[in-house]
Amino acid sequence: MAGPVDESTAAPEDASAPASAGGEPLWLRLLRRWGTIAVIVLTGVGFSFATPYFLTFSNFNNILFSMIVPCLVSIGLTYVVVAGSFDLSVGLCVTTTSIVCAFLIPLVGPWPAIVLSLLAATLIGSINGVLVTYGRLSGIVVTLGMMFVLGGINIYLTGGYQVAVDYTEKAFRYIGQGRFQLTDDRSMAIAVPVVILAVIFLLHLALAGKTRVGYYIRAVGDNAMAAFYSGIPVYRWVIVAFVLSSLTAGIGGVLLTSISSSAQPVGGEGYLLGAFAAVFLGATVLGKGKPHVLGTLLGVFFIYMVNSGMNMVGFPYAARQLFAGAILILAVGANALLNREEIHLKFI
Amino acid sequence: MVASAAEPDHDDTLVDITGLEKQFSGTKALDGVSIKFRRGEVHGLLGENGAGKSTLIKILTGVYSPSAGRISLDGAQVRIDSPLEAHKLGFGAVYQDAEVVSSFTVGQNVLLGNEPGGALVDQRKIHAEAQSILDRMGIDLDVRLLAADLSAAEMQLVTLATLFQRQYKLIVLDEPTARLSASEVEILFGLIERFRDQGITIIYISHRLGEIKRICDRVTILRGGLVSATLDRDEITEERVTELMVAKSREDLRIENTGMATDRVLLEVEDLRTDHLEPLSFTVRAGEILGITGPVGGGMEQIGRSLGGVVHHDGTIRIDGKTVSTRSPRASRAAGIAVVPEDRRRQALFPELSLADNVSLPVLGQLSRFGLIRGQLKLRYAREIADRLSVSPAVPTRSVKFFSGGNQQKAVIGKWMSAHARLFIFVEPTAGVDVGAIKEIYDIILSLARAEAAVILISSAAEEVMALAETVMVVHDGHLVHGAPKAECTHDQLLTLSMGGVSHVKV
Repeated sequence: MAGPVDESTAAPEDASAPASAGGEPLWLRLLRRWGTIAVIVLTGVGFSFATPYFLTFSNFNNILFSMIVPCLVSIGLTYVVVAGSFDLSVGLCVTTTSIVCAFLIPLVGPWPAIVLSLLAATLIGSINGVLVTYGRLSGIVVTLGMMFVLGGINIYLTGGYQVAVDYTEKAFRYIGQGRFQLTDDRSMAIAVPVVILAVIFLLHLALAGKTRVGYYIRAVGDNAMAAFYSGIPVYRWVIVAFVLSSLTAGIGGVLLTSISSSAQPVGGEGYLLGAFAAVFLGATVLGKGKPHVLGTLLGVFFIYMVNSGMNMVGFPYAARQLFAGAILILAVGANALLNREEIHLKFI
Repeated sequence: MVASAAEPDHDDTLVDITGLEKQFSGTKALDGVSIKFRRGEVHGLLGENGAGKSTLIKILTGVYSPSAGRISLDGAQVRIDSPLEAHKLGFGAVYQDAEVVSSFTVGQNVLLGNEPGGALVDQRKIHAEAQSILDRMGIDLDVRLLAADLSAAEMQLVTLATLFQRQYKLIVLDEPTARLSASEVEILFGLIERFRDQGITIIYISHRLGEIKRICDRVTILRGGLVSATLDRDEITEERVTELMVAKSREDLRIENTGMATDRVLLEVEDLRTDHLEPLSFTVRAGEILGITGPVGGGMEQIGRSLGGVVHHDGTIRIDGKTVSTRSPRASRAAGIAVVPEDRRRQALFPELSLADNVSLPVLGQLSRFGLIRGQLKLRYAREIADRLSVSPAVPTRSVKFFSGGNQQKAVIGKWMSAHARLFIFVEPTAGVDVGAIKEIYDIILSLARAEAAVILISSAAEEVMALAETVMVVHDGHLVHGAPKAECTHDQLLTLSMGGVSHVKV
């Protein structure tokens, strides 16, 4: 220990110095901070050269449109992962909310149906959160169980058939199917759900980055013991993280119902794995090492951009899957190499 | 330090502890402790390992609940059921391993849970306020530094600032200087004096008598779960404290190693060096027990960790004249080195697994046929080990977590019995072990030496080292300050040396 306190005694006014002046080469710091973003940009540039249809407004729009629900699921999941747990029920939470919404529209009208279905999502998150904290169960077990329970509920509610939304629900369908026309050109339009996604993303960016909610969830996830000794109600913030996860996935469910004018009894499982991929990919963005909302957005965007690009270039489905998996392991692996611990004995 | 001018009023009791008792599965860790802590005093707490210091502190900070007794704060009886409750009452503690949120900055850590402002978190305000707190405390540390980049000493200062900010009434410092350099100790003492001047009571736990004499207004000495005495500052002398600390009632534990060393040098260590240990050379002969003592965190544990292969080190290590690698725990094991670590539960045992599974782990190959483990053979082997070490109850199928501390320790020793180890390293072998099992563990250590193994005993209890070792070394601040055959040492001398007294290096 080379008495670092003494050094700062000598130069007390040196508060503007960069935080990590430690002997780390510049290129390593740049790589850690901008590496993932550089890969995203370079991949985009590569596809632009490979096919003329890639770098177009309509393709950009398509990518955004295809990632609406996955992005919402991933953003919600980010909170739970930051809090240090897992939520495997997010995918089926989308389906359940979607079904509840489609069911309630003819009964109570579209707006109350949206509110009630989001309440259902909140309830799912609360149950997960309470079981993980007060119930002392592991997040993986609880949400895995919740995943099966929701799957059962979904089949029970629908009887295995899709639930259609009536053609006359114009206002409700506008949420998922409306377009903002930018110019007279019909292709120059932005889908309403993309705008909704943007708004919700910005809200989450503020919630996670600027408010106590995100702040305390981060503290709890990093060192729950320190947070506990600091008098922070740890359980409350873990529950909040689970509620935010389910609620945001629920918003995706409502949008899904509106986009397809119906609710499907199955299919939500697919969101789960992609969401985890996006969250862990996003953790490497800006070298934070921990998931964050902006990183998650970029992670989802990257996955769907690569998907679209490879599709255009003509890669088969198998190759796309393989590539997505390789990218995930490479990105997260590179990040782990950059942040080496002395002894690594955690395998979750 | 000119605090004696503002001597606190003697009736100004902040916390009054009466008749505090704590039992762990039948063993009394505290046996009716009564202490008064005054407002605005620095109260030292001394005692050997197992005297009850940490139990007392854990009760005060809500980690344990007392079996009997009362705690009063400002005259009113209080119950401290959880750390949160202790926090609300204004009791805080800084442990050796400071708890900080490593991805947060210094400033964010200082104000954690008490951020200024409303729903929005204003980073600029947090850092400005944290900076003013650090300035007032005289800590020169950039509030925007990431906690992960701090040294252990700086983390401790941050934790102290956190306690200061929360306006605690009582702050426990547990071996706060264990990892601090001399100049950092000065900063810490400055802080403690500032706390005292503001009427905050400090409980100061340390093994280093020099520090106690310097900073404490009074000192209470615990011995075997009882208060041995409470002394004022001017009554604190080394002889007095040593006499009060050492349990004369433990006569029955008197064990004497009269010397079993053979002429064969088994272990040669040359220029062993780590980040916290200056180059050190020594040899251990077959049948010899080398006792290493010193303050916790003073470098002695580095020796065990190096030989066990868990910490990066330089130097040459030879066993039976052959240079061996101790690069990893696996390499050390292959070299015939068995380490019985201090933190059994975390470093040596699989608490959920049975006793049989635990002890047979290193020899599973011998208990298998065609790659399949033979259950009967394993049980028989485990029963044999349990008999040899008199583990009780001798039920090999029982989960290790249900055994007492002493029997768990025997299970760890049992793990190495047939693993062809030639060098055994015991780190604090009786920490957290109840009195009855201590003698048995001593007997096991002696029997290993009798069987011509080399044994290194690393212990902060001078008494233990005096009882078991044939040769004694004292390591302090990463330096070897003393090394001599036991016959030329006295218990008091070791205690003084490990508390930072005058050194008589003979090596």
